[in-house]
Amino acid sequence: MEPIISFDRLSFTYRGGERPALRQICGQIDRGAVVAVMGHAGAGKSTLCYTLNGLVPRFFRGAYEGSVLVKGEEVARRKVAEMARHVGLVLQDFEAQLFSTNVELEMAFGPENLCLARPEIDRRIRQYLSWVGLEKLRHREPASLSGGQKQRLAIGAILAMEPEVVVMDEPTTDLDPKGRQEILEIAKRLGQSGKTLLIVDTEPETAEQADELWLIKEGRILSKGKPRQLLTDVTLLKACGVSIPPLVELFSLMGWPGNPLSPEEALSWIDKHGLIRRPFPKRPREKPRPPCPPILEVEGLRYVYPFHQTEALRGVHLSIHEGECVALLGQNGSGKTTLAKHFNGLLKPTSGSVLLRGKPTSDYSHREMARHVGFVFQNPDHQIFANTVYDEVAFGLRMLGEDTKTTARYVEEALATVGLAGYEGRSPFALSKGERQRVAVASVLAARPEILVLDEPTTGLDQAQQRSMMAMLKALHRQGHTIIVITHSMRMAEELADRTVVLKDGTVLLDGQTRAVFAEEERLAEASLRPSSIVRLSNRLGTEALTVEQMVEELKA
Amino acid sequence: MNLFLYLEGRTWLHRLDPRTKLLGTLILFVLCLCFNHPLYLLLIALAIGTLALSAKAFLNFWRLRWLLLLLMAFSTLLWPFFVRGSTAILAWGPLHLSQESIAYGVAMGLRLASFVSIGLVLLSTTRNEELTHGLIRMGLPHPVAFAFATALRLIPTFAGAGATIVQAQMARGLDLEEGNLLRRIGKFIPQAVPLFLYAIRHTNFLAMALESRGFSPGAARTFYHELRMRWIDYGAIVFLLVLLGGALYLRLGQGWGVILPGRL
Repeated sequence: MEPIISFDRLSFTYRGGERPALRQICGQIDRGAVVAVMGHAGAGKSTLCYTLNGLVPRFFRGAYEGSVLVKGEEVARRKVAEMARHVGLVLQDFEAQLFSTNVELEMAFGPENLCLARPEIDRRIRQYLSWVGLEKLRHREPASLSGGQKQRLAIGAILAMEPEVVVMDEPTTDLDPKGRQEILEIAKRLGQSGKTLLIVDTEPETAEQADELWLIKEGRILSKGKPRQLLTDVTLLKACGVSIPPLVELFSLMGWPGNPLSPEEALSWIDKHGLIRRPFPKRPREKPRPPCPPILEVEGLRYVYPFHQTEALRGVHLSIHEGECVALLGQNGSGKTTLAKHFNGLLKPTSGSVLLRGKPTSDYSHREMARHVGFVFQNPDHQIFANTVYDEVAFGLRMLGEDTKTTARYVEEALATVGLAGYEGRSPFALSKGERQRVAVASVLAARPEILVLDEPTTGLDQAQQRSMMAMLKALHRQGHTIIVITHSMRMAEELADRTVVLKDGTVLLDGQTRAVFAEEERLAEASLRPSSIVRLSNRLGTEALTVEQMVEELKA
Repeated sequence: MNLFLYLEGRTWLHRLDPRTKLLGTLILFVLCLCFNHPLYLLLIALAIGTLALSAKAFLNFWRLRWLLLLLMAFSTLLWPFFVRGSTAILAWGPLHLSQESIAYGVAMGLRLASFVSIGLVLLSTTRNEELTHGLIRMGLPHPVAFAFATALRLIPTFAGAGATIVQAQMARGLDLEEGNLLRRIGKFIPQAVPLFLYAIRHTNFLAMALESRGFSPGAARTFYHELRMRWIDYGAIVFLLVLLGGALYLRLGQGWGVILPGRL
């Protein structure tokens, strides 16, 4: 079959960039093939996507060598708007790529640019909205959709231009498990419909469905091959900084035959080879430690956003005890962040109460509050402003009126805790996303709050960065901080939290020990959540483990 | 977060052609400038209020009630000190208050509120895309019309980001209500720098997304919503023009609706 895309020794260095983002990329993609691309943060995955519709080098300038041919034509010679007819690019940030005032106009935008007549535009809106399953939401405002729906709309808007090649740059990264599932479903059908698809993702689940998997490291293609083969090669995945499918890791650590990707596969391997005795003998569940006195008490909390009169919280009851590590789970829009913003008084309850050490949060000034509850926002770029890392971290302390000596000591400690000792003089803007996230944590930590609230601290971080962020949070927890993590990452909750609270539509759906909460798969599904494959296997086996390490330990005991 | 002003609806104002609404807005603006007597302006303000009611746009007025009240209050309180009328109430050195100047202040407050209200009715009933299309069909060059519409579109986005940034800095101990002027200005930087960078990144990303969807400024394109002037559009424009003509005649020909002559 003739290739629809071919890369020939393609290298690219962004203007002002120190290292090449892509080095000597060679490869071909056949018409109708589905190719998945994986790699660590900064490996050049997005850059690779941008070379396909000409954003590199037409929009992002830099040193460009070699060539990319799409349908035999050199992309670099064409305008991005012209290439858009052939190559549709779906970007990671689904918020920013939607700009119309309703769903149908969002769909119409591309076809309008192709100068199609109204009846044809209408036909395409109809056809592709039903393709992505949004036909009932045709007149809704994009801002009012859920995360998964927004990303589906973004895909639909690209499909409406009927490009032969569809490129998706991390389309599921910011989505909850159900949203992910929806997008994967669409990707699968796209592949079956004969479109050529290139999809970048960090989760092995996505790559599984592809015809071919490319692993990228530092701008180079390290390996190409059948997804099954590569995804079960633990050493190769490690070398690429890509997350290893947990069940593959389990089987390799146990020395078992087979490379299962789903819990069902794992069970059939286990049964076929009689790997363990089933049902597995129940181990007594660890008794929860007697709870310390509550530090935060939320009673009948309701909150209505004043500007658009929507009720984000509808009667939340919750108490957080000293020294706990709690995960707040829930799908996009369930009220997680709204609830957390009450913990440090950024929002005031419409009714009900939030007590911090027995006193309403509204009785604390912002400065007092910074000493009790530290809040790390989701996007570090919403707070970074200083010229040096030192000034950035010292900002809070200066605001609190600490003297120079104390400030210096606290800053040093905070930077050491987040693993950025020695970075004092560097510019925070020149750091990687993972490092900027750490600066943001340090800047909150410096004021030595008792409680640390983190909103999606692993968003946009790759496997290695996520691991080190979690290790850091564990260390902080051991030091005695009360930790509350808002997340949509199941693995983060499973590995980190002793307690999990699941929110749905502004109320608490589940609240308990993490192990017990994750055993309730059906209730979790109500909140569009699904435990990771290792926990689902653990549930089927009746084991207590939540992580691969725990599972190995439990099975070998 | 929903910070957009457009309100979904099928009222007659929603269904008017955007060109009619743009032209109508312009005519109403001029109409507000015709008089400076508070009673006349009250009449105009009430008429606009009725218009807002029939457009079911009151939610937006409720959202922006503080802005409207503030504008009215400031104008009413400040104007009297800057104009001179004949019937003095208080004369104390350079300070001078008169019945006419107070009435003029009230009139200016009403005028300002009317301006904002007219804009609000327009934005509550007209989609961003319709505005762009309308402006283009009225002869504005494509890039200018798109720049205008995009700017309108980005205001709520940036306002939302700004609110998040302020919260993020407050969570670190930034106290905006404390300190002297100099200290307060210093506190502006931690908010301005991230917002500025956000704006640059966001617009850059938007440009990328637009180009990836085949958009290039200035190139020919079609529009899904076709604009059509109906009899009601022509009717509305004729009605407004007659109204404006009458108002100009009253003010310029008869000298009605004036509290302070010689002023706009």
